[in-house]
Amino acid sequence: MTYFEKELAKLKSLMYSNQEQIEMVIGVRNYIDNNYDAALNLDFLSQVRFVSKYHMLRLFKRHYGVTPRQYLIDKRIAASKEQLKKGLSVTETCFAVGFESLGSFSSLFKAKTGKSPSEYQKEQLSRSGLPPES
Amino acid sequence: MKVNIISIPVRDQEKALKFYTEKLGFLKKKDKPMGGENRWLTLVSKEAQEGPEILLEPAPLHFEPCKVFQDALMEAGIPYTQFDVESVDAEYERLTKLGVEFSVKPSTMGTAKYAVLNDTCGNYIAITEEL
Repeated sequence: MTYFEKELAKLKSLMYSNQEQIEMVIGVRNYIDNNYDAALNLDFLSQVRFVSKYHMLRLFKRHYGVTPRQYLIDKRIAASKEQLKKGLSVTETCFAVGFESLGSFSSLFKAKTGKSPSEYQKEQLSRSGLPPES
Repeated sequence: MKVNIISIPVRDQEKALKFYTEKLGFLKKKDKPMGGENRWLTLVSKEAQEGPEILLEPAPLHFEPCKVFQDALMEAGIPYTQFDVESVDAEYERLTKLGVEFSVKPSTMGTAKYAVLNDTCGNYIAITEEL
């Protein structure tokens, strides 16, 4: 066994011995992955897994390094990029990926990508319209 | 400022180029001479061709401490860096068939699945998947 494997085994028993908790957070993450376009909140997500919401929040952050809310926002922004590339309007995209207000979608999008949704879309569509490089 | 280059020290740039493109599946992005046999050689992943580039650096050939560090990591079994994959199991199967050697078979740790492969150019590389 290499030094690396020994150290990982130590870490694993120190930090990841509670398999039930790990399965719970993985379940919450999968739920967000499959339902990011629906209205999700902490109360609802914790009910899905029958745990208290603060317990769930703490464990999610511990395992994924971000809160469920941040994770959800990143997921929605990533999905919205795909929709914008397909040519959906900004408003259609906003609701298709689960945001409830155009204002919060646009400002989150700008904060995360540095561009507004329409700027991003314009850039992507003009890029795909270019003749392929030889 | 933004992150665009991830450099990986390699013992042989041509051999590394073959391994990283033919086995791992990266695409060559830039290739220019840098004096002697050295090249500025970068790769991107197929799925993110506008994304960060891997720089295959011939540092261990020219700077002894780099070689010492690389050897020490190898000796300890520590991956130099890691790449995200869709499925560790599927990549493990695909790469094993191509003759790639793994020092760690697919394993889980908390919410991560990983395996470790030998890049044949002086490094172990981990492939990881978030569960």
